[in-house]
Amino acid sequence: MKNNLTSIAALAALAVTAHAGTAAADCTLPVGVVYPTSVDWGKPIAETTLWVADMINEAGGVDGCRVNAILRDTQVDPRVGVDAARALVDLDRVQLLIGAVASGVTIPILTSVAAPSGVMQISCCSSTTRLTEIAAEGGANGLFFRTFATSNVQALVAAMKAQEAGYETITILYKNDDWGQDLGSLAAAAFAGAGIEVKAQIAINDDQPSYRAEVTQALATRPEALYLALYPKEGIAVVREWISLGGTTEFIGTNSLKSDEFREAVGMQHLGNFIGTDSSTPRTGSATAFVDAYTAHFNAPPSGPGLPNAFDAAAISLLAYHAAGRDATGAQIAAKVPMVTDPAGEPIDGDVAGFARAMELLSAGQPVSYQGGTGAVTFDQYGDVSAPAVFWNFGADGAITEIQYITLEEVAAFGASIE
Amino acid sequence: MIQHLVDGILTGSIISLGAIGLTLIMHMLRFANFSYAELLGIGAYSALVFDRLLAALIPFMHEKIGPLSLTWTLSVSVVLAMVVTGASAVVLDKLVFKRIRENAGPLSMVFASFGVALILRNIITLAFGHRAQLYSPDIAFAIVVSFDPLLLIKPDQVFVLGAALVLMLMLHVVLTRTTFGYSHRAVAENPDLAQVSGVRLSRMVVSVWVLGGGLSAAAGVFYGLTNQISPHLGHNFVLPVFAATIVGGIGSVYGAVLGGFIVGIASGLSLMILPSGYTPAMPFLIIIAVMLLRPHGLFGEELHR
Repeated sequence: MKNNLTSIAALAALAVTAHAGTAAADCTLPVGVVYPTSVDWGKPIAETTLWVADMINEAGGVDGCRVNAILRDTQVDPRVGVDAARALVDLDRVQLLIGAVASGVTIPILTSVAAPSGVMQISCCSSTTRLTEIAAEGGANGLFFRTFATSNVQALVAAMKAQEAGYETITILYKNDDWGQDLGSLAAAAFAGAGIEVKAQIAINDDQPSYRAEVTQALATRPEALYLALYPKEGIAVVREWISLGGTTEFIGTNSLKSDEFREAVGMQHLGNFIGTDSSTPRTGSATAFVDAYTAHFNAPPSGPGLPNAFDAAAISLLAYHAAGRDATGAQIAAKVPMVTDPAGEPIDGDVAGFARAMELLSAGQPVSYQGGTGAVTFDQYGDVSAPAVFWNFGADGAITEIQYITLEEVAAFGASIE
Repeated sequence: MIQHLVDGILTGSIISLGAIGLTLIMHMLRFANFSYAELLGIGAYSALVFDRLLAALIPFMHEKIGPLSLTWTLSVSVVLAMVVTGASAVVLDKLVFKRIRENAGPLSMVFASFGVALILRNIITLAFGHRAQLYSPDIAFAIVVSFDPLLLIKPDQVFVLGAALVLMLMLHVVLTRTTFGYSHRAVAENPDLAQVSGVRLSRMVVSVWVLGGGLSAAAGVFYGLTNQISPHLGHNFVLPVFAATIVGGIGSVYGAVLGGFIVGIASGLSLMILPSGYTPAMPFLIIIAVMLLRPHGLFGEELHR
């Protein structure tokens, strides 16, 4: 036993020395990463984040210090996520938390860990507008950012499409959960702003034996078109019922209905006028560069959700950390974020050379414009980003086909026009 | 108003069918069987399998009957599915419930039924996947019965209502006019006395599972015919079916029929006063109201143990 202990101690000592010898710098900075590594779509998000930390270290580290990214699993469970964040803040003394994915996990981490402890938090993938409200109410203390656009983008372009199609009335059917309620009310506001009368907003609950009553209620409002913020499971039941009762086949649907199951069960003969919306990554050189770099690094293209967003969340927050200095608090790091995403700054790429150049400029007190996987990111006062959008439909052969790309500027201009 | 009422009656007929089986089983075996609603799923999926098989074997029977989306193959499949589901209910009883009944109390039965429900649902998911299945991919269009007030009815729904009523009538005749029916009621009233009078208890238990399984299979297929089939079909019906049973009074077949219609109609009508987000609470509200006014249900009698 004693022998064992001695050898472990010796190994540890050796490791520490070896570590000091090879590290890019003579100090390390802990950074907390809270992502759901135990689910299949969460793992690539976490790996992308660690990859960025490696590149930052290769480029010289944050203010000369090696970044030690400490990864903790959230299991997409608010309780586990909060525990993980709590441990990172209290035990590892991090000033920066990167995470989480699901809004339901991100919100409690923000309100019960990050904001009270003065730690900066940046999420790759949370889309609920509840986070905007928290920031607007002052609950985030300016410490929260996210690189994923809110559901408002989809709501805006849905209204854009409805206006284009000349609909005067529309009825909204939304899934009765956080996501659906959020999207339903955003869409209602957007339609109203675009001069389209919203006849009714009807909640669709999960797992009901029959949706007949809800559909009958929607039918009674006699809308020209139907807006569907539903998942395929209840979407199939609702839309089939709707069509069987003679409802219009003018549909506008959300990205959640990008599903072969939905198309097959409803039938292409009824989906000819279906238009879907989705937010998109910008069609810029930096977005393509991200895809190439990711493919080269992981030997597979980035196919999962939120990967460019995760890349940018890590890169922006670590560059801001660099600008704020190794001893910075969460608030000081957050204050430097605009310096990294300044449209007037020198454009820099999301690679080792780009990071090195950015650090050089930031150290000299000059702003940079980071161009990442989701383009030239800029945050508004609540830490939100906007995004371009696409329209899609079920093409002639039934395959999900993109029919139109709407740039970030067009989305923003339309948003401004209906306010 | 009239549309909601009609829709409620049509949904209610399916709930009623399910509730009859549950009330019979709960009365005779004296435990709340939460796995019962999964039998609807077994029924719906076995009918799907038979329908596909028959359609492949005898294609000319895979024709729609009149204005219905029901095919000849499916109508044969319903009967086969009722047999299969009745048989699986008996097997489940032999494997699980019989053993527990002999060795443990009613509470263990309730917990076991939760477990059985989970196992059945996941077996269905394993075999058929999560996706929604349809007997017929075509959408059956509703017929406009009247324009003002607007009233739309699907031929399938009328057929389902009719078929459900026929099944109920057949059950009524069996229970009130045959020796089997008398024995059945005797066992439900007092198992010991019935045994003394020469009724074989084990045979009655098997028969009640067959009856319950058969009726729930019909309910499952009828639901699949007017909506869609998914592994959650049974789960979605647990609450309405239990509500109907409790409202009607445990053990009362007529109570279960009425309870099913009450739950169906109330869920439909509730949309007129409540936002749709709150309608799933309706069955609970009905249970509470009935429990407060008539603790043994509308037609129920106090159980003598």
